[in-house]
Amino acid sequence: MSRPIRAVRVRSLTPAVKPYLALLPMALTVIVAYLGTMAWTLRTSFTASRTFASDKFIGLAQYERLFDNERWMLSLHNLALYGVLFILACLVIGFLLAVFIDQNVSGEGVLRTVFLYPYAMSFVATGLVWQWLLTPGTGIDGTIAALGFPGFVFDWIVDQDMAIYTIVIATVWQSAGLVMALMLAGLRGIDADIWKAARLDGIPVWRVYLSIILPMLWPTIATVFLLLATSVVKLFDAVVAMTQGGPGTASEVPAKFIMDHLFLRSNIGLASAGAIMLLVPVVALLAPYAYARSRRSRARGHA
Amino acid sequence: MMAQTTLATPAVQAPAVARPRRRRFTPARIGIYVFLFGAALFFLLPLYVMAVTSLKGMDEIRAGSILALPGAWTVEPWRQAWSEVCTGASCEGIRGGFWNSVRITLPSTILPILIGAVNGYALSFWRPRGANILFGVLLGGAFIPVQVMIYPLVRLLAGAGIFGSLPAIVLVHLVFGMPVMTLLFRNYYASLPQELFHAARIDGGGFWRIFLHVVLPLSTPIIVVAAIMQVTGVWNDYILGLVFAGRDNLPMTVQLNNVINTTTGTRLYNVNMAATILTALVPLALYFFSGRWFVRGIAAGAVKG
Amino acid sequence: MYTAPKYQALALACAAFFAAAAAPAAPANAAAAVAAAASNGPRAEVIHWWTSGGESAAVKQVAQAYRAAGGVWVDTAIAGGDQSRAVTVNRIVGGNPPTAAQFNTSKQFFDIVEQGMLNNVDDVARAQNWDKLLPEPIVSVIKVDGHYYAVPLNIHMQTWIWYSKAAFQKAGIAKEPASVPEFFAALDKLKAAGIVPLAHGGQPWQETILFSAMLSNLGGRDLYLKVLRERDPKAIASPAFRNVLLAYKRLQGYVDPRSPGRNWNDATAMVIGGKAGMQIMGDWAKGEFTAAKQVPEQQYGCIAGLAPNAPYLMQGDVFVFPKTRNAQALQAQKLLASVVVAPNTQLAFSKLKGSVPVRSDVDASQADACARKGIAIMKDRSRHLGVSEVYLTPDQNGALQDVLTAYWNTNMTVEKAQKNIAAALGE
Repeated sequence: MSRPIRAVRVRSLTPAVKPYLALLPMALTVIVAYLGTMAWTLRTSFTASRTFASDKFIGLAQYERLFDNERWMLSLHNLALYGVLFILACLVIGFLLAVFIDQNVSGEGVLRTVFLYPYAMSFVATGLVWQWLLTPGTGIDGTIAALGFPGFVFDWIVDQDMAIYTIVIATVWQSAGLVMALMLAGLRGIDADIWKAARLDGIPVWRVYLSIILPMLWPTIATVFLLLATSVVKLFDAVVAMTQGGPGTASEVPAKFIMDHLFLRSNIGLASAGAIMLLVPVVALLAPYAYARSRRSRARGHA
Repeated sequence: MMAQTTLATPAVQAPAVARPRRRRFTPARIGIYVFLFGAALFFLLPLYVMAVTSLKGMDEIRAGSILALPGAWTVEPWRQAWSEVCTGASCEGIRGGFWNSVRITLPSTILPILIGAVNGYALSFWRPRGANILFGVLLGGAFIPVQVMIYPLVRLLAGAGIFGSLPAIVLVHLVFGMPVMTLLFRNYYASLPQELFHAARIDGGGFWRIFLHVVLPLSTPIIVVAAIMQVTGVWNDYILGLVFAGRDNLPMTVQLNNVINTTTGTRLYNVNMAATILTALVPLALYFFSGRWFVRGIAAGAVKG
Repeated sequence: MYTAPKYQALALACAAFFAAAAAPAAPANAAAAVAAAASNGPRAEVIHWWTSGGESAAVKQVAQAYRAAGGVWVDTAIAGGDQSRAVTVNRIVGGNPPTAAQFNTSKQFFDIVEQGMLNNVDDVARAQNWDKLLPEPIVSVIKVDGHYYAVPLNIHMQTWIWYSKAAFQKAGIAKEPASVPEFFAALDKLKAAGIVPLAHGGQPWQETILFSAMLSNLGGRDLYLKVLRERDPKAIASPAFRNVLLAYKRLQGYVDPRSPGRNWNDATAMVIGGKAGMQIMGDWAKGEFTAAKQVPEQQYGCIAGLAPNAPYLMQGDVFVFPKTRNAQALQAQKLLASVVVAPNTQLAFSKLKGSVPVRSDVDASQADACARKGIAIMKDRSRHLGVSEVYLTPDQNGALQDVLTAYWNTNMTVEKAQKNIAAALGE
């Protein structure tokens, strides 16, 4: 489609402004909705606010109380533990599933749907069902015991130390399929010539995956990591549906601590302090990552 | 980075592994099928339990094993869940929330997709100054638990006079959906060749012309992916709909929660399971019917980073 | 390049979506709208969290009574107390308050009163002499600065001891335990007979119930008030309180290992089926027994306290009335307040909810055996006590619960528990 080149002199200003105008909704959202609410949260974390925001400033007292709070410290510990396990498990399982599905298996469409459908379930449904499955006695272990392994008990969900791992199981079940889909797409985008070259060189298949394919999938993995990390920090519904943070407070997570204090405990001051504390490591992790990426992309000349 | 030499044709769909594999039953091949079969069992187990429990009577549930097939099949729980179970003083099941969920989900999917597309387009082709920083902050915002933002957003929307209405909940979903939508579109457009864009500019195209006539028509695969993810997120959302939608627009998830989480009442597990499946039907159906395009769309460049 | 028709198709699809989204509200809403438009009575939108079958039947009684008085009841039910209250607070802040909202008989709505966001119901209160009619713990939370800000619906007792007659017979327990040592002796006998002595659900609020039972029965009224109302550090550090904590922890030896996380009604089911001997739970548990077709004093029994004058720990539900200048809404609020406290409504509601009416002048003959016991005890004002949330702010109550559940579930020493409770209540 060829068109005569129009004189662009007069219009040279307008194209420069239009992208900014088009990004106005995003700018508004970022500044008002995100930065604005975070500023409000920061301010509230320095006050003695209860059900409503108050103007009584008390300095860092809420933060002190936060760090004296065993439940909060436990929730941070749980989040770190959960985050590492969840992301690792999703990446590994998702990658393995993608690799195996990619092997020209029959019934690929069905398998893909089977692995992907859990992502359509809400966190509440996921937590509910898995709580049922893992309840000792009436859950799966009861069935296994009845099948001929009497005395088989899987009671992680009621164990102080193991409860958090059951949440890993439930949420990995939900998200691994998405990771698989993303990895599969990444795999499919790899040039077929690579495989030919590898075969010519006589490299065993698993080596090809490990040393050649995985590094090539790095951008995919990075995006997947980002998506998974956001759901780690926001983990709330699944915990509430599965263990209510229990037994006791064993599977407490920061988002639940914050939520409980926002509404149930009518202490938005403490909740705000918790929210800011949750954001700090996120920003600390994201900022260098973003900086590194922007430098790299500038070097590549490609956003 | 792999250069896409053809425009917009999604990456090869057949298993791209060019090595010619004859279907022999090698141990490796058997191992693959065993692994996949085992994984499929793990993934299907909860759905099976939900379905089976929803078809049993309460006595059977109390007495029997969680994995057992129903001894006496009954669709009574489904009927109850849809039209009879109590969700308050009214006992009309969860069907009331269904149309509310539809009315919330449709605009809450279309609007974020449109805006995400425009954002991604501006970010990847035009790259105005400061836009990347803005985008970085937006991505950071994706890490904030929604609960933290509820109270200030309530104040904001109340100030704007629209709190507790359909526009309010759509706006809220837009705010929370923007990071991921923008990320998806930006990554996708970044994988399109820049020559396309340059050629269009030389031809005299302006910002919107190029978007509408060049970029948007190429965006079908990523729109599908974005739509699936956003529909799932919005349909399954509970807390935002509860707070912002207003009494007349409460989504199905609120009804579902009323059924499942009674504080001091008796629990009907079979009805709970039926209600859960009913609520999940829309996203599930979406996945069943469009899983193929989901992968295709992602393959077309959504996650090239 | 790509041709316009593809874009046109997309535009058409968008238009179709928007048209569908703008479609009128669902038929279910339409029917309600028609009904509402038809009647002219004062319209009351009520937010509450009664969503189960039994609770729903109970709140319907109130709705019906309100309709009979000429009003229009608009029901907004949201399961989960904290979610329901969160919606209420957010709607008040958002400028779109309901006509009435449910809270517990507690300090939950104290902040809202302080901010001047509730209407008072002084006229109804004075006209019906609430100061005389209602128990003191209830008045203490609904009356702030001399004004009444909530109308109470019912009274639940938190620490009833339910027991299975069959289990008692099997364990050879001839009479109901009437003191704390007898209670533990009965638990021992049940254990020896191979029955789970105490059915328990390992959730923080249920553990708090066990604690409250020990504090009120073993510690007595004075210690209870000193710890929970005065929050006296000396009382918390006292040996008497230490004994209470030890007794509370001692109960753990009588629950089965599957108790963590169990729902309360599953624990009640254990007692119903005779698999467990006793459960300490509020009187909402009666609904479970009734649903299983069991009759009080026949298949199961109910013990109100482990001493002749054991405190009666009251909790309950109230309606508050968000501030409004709308004349119709004000009228609706006043009408609702007077309907709720009316003797008939009180009886009908409590019967279905398993609670006891707030008024001391109702006819108790219709109630079942356990409710009659409760009503009789209520006549003795010296036994009136509130549950912890009546005296503590939600934050303090939550912090207390955190310590109690940690003490129950971990190896925390009793001294550390005392220290942590002092810190939790000292906020």
